[in-house]
Amino acid sequence: MTAQRQQAMNRRRDEPAQGASAAWIRHHRDCAVAALMRLVRNPVSSALTWLVIAISLTLPTLFYLALASLEHQTERWQAGGQITLYLTDATSLEEGQTLTEELAQRPEVISTRYVAADEAWQSFSQSLTLDDDRLQLESNPLPASIVVVPDGQSSTDLEALQLLITSLPQVEDVQLDLAWIDRLNRFLELIATGVTGLAILLGVAVLLVVGNTIRLAIESRKEEIRIVKLLGATEAFIKRPFLYLGLWYGLLGGMAAWILVSGIAWWLHTPLSAFLDTYGLDAHVTWLDIGETFILLLSATLVSLTGTHIALWRHLREAEPR
Amino acid sequence: MIHFDQVSKRYDGGHEALASVDLHIERGEMVFLTGHSGAGKSTLLKLIMRIEKPSSGQLRVNGQLLNRLGKGRVPFFRRDLGIVHQDHQLLMDQTVFDNVALPLVIAGEHPRDVTRRVRAALDKVGLLERENYRPIQLSGGEQQRVGIARAVVRKPALLLADEPTGNLDPALSRDIMALFSEFNRVGTTVLIASHDLGLIARLNYRVISLQEGRLLTTPFGGGRS
Repeated sequence: MTAQRQQAMNRRRDEPAQGASAAWIRHHRDCAVAALMRLVRNPVSSALTWLVIAISLTLPTLFYLALASLEHQTERWQAGGQITLYLTDATSLEEGQTLTEELAQRPEVISTRYVAADEAWQSFSQSLTLDDDRLQLESNPLPASIVVVPDGQSSTDLEALQLLITSLPQVEDVQLDLAWIDRLNRFLELIATGVTGLAILLGVAVLLVVGNTIRLAIESRKEEIRIVKLLGATEAFIKRPFLYLGLWYGLLGGMAAWILVSGIAWWLHTPLSAFLDTYGLDAHVTWLDIGETFILLLSATLVSLTGTHIALWRHLREAEPR
Repeated sequence: MIHFDQVSKRYDGGHEALASVDLHIERGEMVFLTGHSGAGKSTLLKLIMRIEKPSSGQLRVNGQLLNRLGKGRVPFFRRDLGIVHQDHQLLMDQTVFDNVALPLVIAGEHPRDVTRRVRAALDKVGLLERENYRPIQLSGGEQQRVGIARAVVRKPALLLADEPTGNLDPALSRDIMALFSEFNRVGTTVLIASHDLGLIARLNYRVISLQEGRLLTTPFGGGRS
């Protein structure tokens, strides 16, 4: 073996070890900076790409926020959901109070409250603003009642409770408004599935947009790729600038999406509060917290990088040296 | 350095570009490869650069059996070659310096060494004062010299040139050939494909000729007969 060949082989053996990692880091840094500069130097054409990414991400994120706000709201509704048992006239005050305590012992019940007939009448007449003579009745027409606040977690428990209550001899009538909560929950589940579907669909759109942008970038640098391949550039070396391009597109798109989502949420906050207020609802507009922001940026970057990888895989082999 | 053993190359469609070629070029030789266009010169060079693979036969270049060279090893194999193209193949949007630095950057050399070695290579081809120019601002001969500087900047053991004087006038062509001779004198193996028979005749190097994919001259070295 000649000394020259020995030298060449030594050089090759050393390559992955010392010096190579520094060179690797240097190339990563250079590629990251160069790719960012490319975006900055072509603001209009690059903005088209990352704005599409931003808008594609804004839509599902906004739906997600709306859903989170609604879920927060229904949790409160469920806690406030109640059953009113109207007792028969034959039920005495003591009997009513005993029954109230018995019901409070049940595990699916959070609390109970006995409302005597007089108390009911009082609060009813107080709630009237007009001083109507017709309401000067001889006797109180309102029955005594028990307000039961159930633990609204499972609908089967609620059904069992409902069955028990209606079978009680002291109970004349039950006013129960729980079915709609169940329906609302189902509806929210449906919306959540829809939002997931929408997010997947728009994720695919981001993949295609980034893929196309990278394809054009590869196209415009085809000659350069051919040249560096002949000069001994590895696949990783050739891919690196494009991967950083994809990374920046994703990250910029994600950040723009965050700004859009926050802006729209802030913009809707006041009219939404006013609207919900008319229903006596607490206008709780949810913002993206740090974790959700991180997930938004991460998914934007990952989707963009995936699109870049697909474009590289499909189009890089077209740039073989001739 | 270059060993063809019964190497044939057939392209899809049946065209046989090279037929049973036996060729041996020893380390430190300088050899001209001639032949009409379509005789197989380009195919022979492409096989050596591992752009194409032989259909049959064994090909060994710089100690590597190219038939068995995995895809992942190809870049590292090419780093030990210096390649000069007829159309220069320079990056037009980068400076002369950056073009010559490219092989060093690809190999991951330290920036400090890159500057030193690029200047040395540019000095050798007489273009040191043009390092900040763009290739487009240079003449054809100067562009070719940039291409040569890029090919030799890593001091390759083997220098390949495909019609390096194809677009140049005779005086410039002689200068370019003188450069190749100079590299050969310091030990670089040089293989130049050229159809400029007048120019080749004036230089006393071994000449191998291809005709319709077959070698006309003796497969072993030993000067021109």
